[in-house]
Amino acid sequence: MDNKFTKSELKKLEKKSKSKKEMFFDLLISFLPLLSYAISILEYLFIKDKYENDYKYRYVIFLTVIIVLYLFFLIKNLYIYLTCGDDEKYIKTKNKSLWLFVIFLFLTLFDYLTLKTGILMYPFIPWVNDIINISIEDYKNLTISTLYSLRLLLIGYIVGVVTGLVTGVLCGYSKRVRYWINPILKVLGPIPTATWIPLIMIISSSLFLGAVFIISLGVWFSVSVATMIGIMNVDKSYYDVAKTLGANDKDLIFKVAIHSAMPNILQGMTQGMSSACISLMVAEMLGVKAGLGWYITWSQSWASYNKMFAAIIIICLVFNVVSKILDSIKKYLLRWQNSGGDIE
Amino acid sequence: MNSSILSIKNISKSFAKIDEDSITHAISNINIDLKENEFVSIVGPSGCGKSTILRLIAGLIFPTMGEIFFENKKIQGPNRDIGMVFQKPTLFPWLTVKKNISFGLDINNEYEENKINEMIKMIGLNDFANDYPGQLSGGMAQRVAIARAIINNPKVLLLDEPLGALDYFTRMNMQDEILEIWKEKKQLIIMVTHDIEEAIYMSTKVYVMEKNPGRIKEEVKIDLPYDRDRTSLEFVEYKNRILNLVKF
Ligand SMILES: Nc1ncnc2c1ncn2[C@@H]1O[C@H](COP(=O)(O)OP(=O)(O)O)[C@@H](O)[C@H]1O
Ligand SMILES: [Mg+2]
Repeated sequence: MDNKFTKSELKKLEKKSKSKKEMFFDLLISFLPLLSYAISILEYLFIKDKYENDYKYRYVIFLTVIIVLYLFFLIKNLYIYLTCGDDEKYIKTKNKSLWLFVIFLFLTLFDYLTLKTGILMYPFIPWVNDIINISIEDYKNLTISTLYSLRLLLIGYIVGVVTGLVTGVLCGYSKRVRYWINPILKVLGPIPTATWIPLIMIISSSLFLGAVFIISLGVWFSVSVATMIGIMNVDKSYYDVAKTLGANDKDLIFKVAIHSAMPNILQGMTQGMSSACISLMVAEMLGVKAGLGWYITWSQSWASYNKMFAAIIIICLVFNVVSKILDSIKKYLLRWQNSGGDIE
Repeated sequence: MNSSILSIKNISKSFAKIDEDSITHAISNINIDLKENEFVSIVGPSGCGKSTILRLIAGLIFPTMGEIFFENKKIQGPNRDIGMVFQKPTLFPWLTVKKNISFGLDINNEYEENKINEMIKMIGLNDFANDYPGQLSGGMAQRVAIARAIINNPKVLLLDEPLGALDYFTRMNMQDEILEIWKEKKQLIIMVTHDIEEAIYMSTKVYVMEKNPGRIKEEVKIDLPYDRDRTSLEFVEYKNRILNLVKF
């Protein structure tokens, strides 16, 4: 091949160019969030508060940080687009604009219904600046709780994944192991692991270990079943090929079966993560005296609803980050799957 | 003393059918003796047990009756000295082209960068070395499968309709490539094919089989010098002779 070109050049060559009008429209859409940002700031500053609102400007800073971050990436990627012609990143950022536009409008409405008018009942539903204030004030407890939750989640998850992989591989590979393990999986499988929490809390010597056990039980179950199915469905001709190349039983498991079953295994791990998050919350709300779940019930019992909201928001963020990380691990490990000729 | 490298002694293989309580007699009473540096082909109607014979030699399955000896030792299971290329390339989709080729070396801790690169160059896939098999065409994939088998330097190479899925021109190219490999390494090659012309073009000996139960009908020695001319009179005569044997 004598004319080599890069991926972005290839895309550029094959794409039909946009008209001036379309490009102008795109640009307009990508700056739309600025409008709703301005609306929410004006609403916040110029409508009279119904309740006392300390550190008023924190909310303004919060909104401004969001819009500045967005504009930073937008302009950076727009610059890349205009100089190199690669519009992939620009389009990705631009596609977020409508959502951001709506989010600012939602925040405006929310602020109006809480701080300005109290239509949504205070103190049960606090306004955003109140949540920001309490998060800053109580950041120590929140940080510690977050770390406790993460520690419990990760330990439980890792224990579950490792044991699940071991039993799953053995069950998938050996009929004799399957004879013993499969009925256990079948009987325990449909029962949500949270069912066992009260029992475990009573009989285990340490609440922490009890919680680890509960979390890992659910993960173990999902990973075991998915791995077993994956290993049992490995195309037998892979084994034949590997054997003629000199593979022994160990190679067949570690170099063939596990890789071939990887899509199933990762699907089991994703499922295991969501069960782990549920068990974590239930365990912390029912027994363990630390972590975000405990923080929620504790602040609820003191009627500190703003703290409760702060913790709930942090949980949402943490679980989202965790599943993002898991997703990118998945994408990396399965990069061989999407290797049909298309460069999309 | 037995001077042959591979000897198949009176083997029969029957399979239990899955759904009904009966038995398929895939092959019966096969006797073959083969020396190093032979290139034999097996032709015959589909279902006559050609693949079964190769799988028996590879040690992937065991004969119902009879024995197979490799270098005077009974075959007890798969062996690195007996390589096999299957009808489908069956590349490991989770490994790159390069890693597929080096699989045999990797699992036996004999990784040798030079050897692998040489092999990739030989099959002309330099530009694809780090791609995953999903991107390869049928011909490229089969070349990788052949490279993966011969990098182990097997003394016996079993080819089960290796070119069956390829178009005519790729096929002719690959026939020459396989012959090059054979001339260089001088291993014993046993190839199953449904293409009689291919069998005559490539091999020193052709076994013609018939079915129900699968058995060898005749052994045809091909006494033609390489490189063979498909249009020569002798070639056509061989072709007619084998065609007559296959007809019944
Ligand atoms: N694993 C198996 N189980 C049951 N029957 C089989 C099996 N392998 C092959 N057979 C049967 O043995 C016969 C010969 O098969 P095969 O060796 O694949 O034929 P060929 O390769 O010549 O087309 C066929 O009737 C086939 O159905
Ligand atoms: Mg066959």
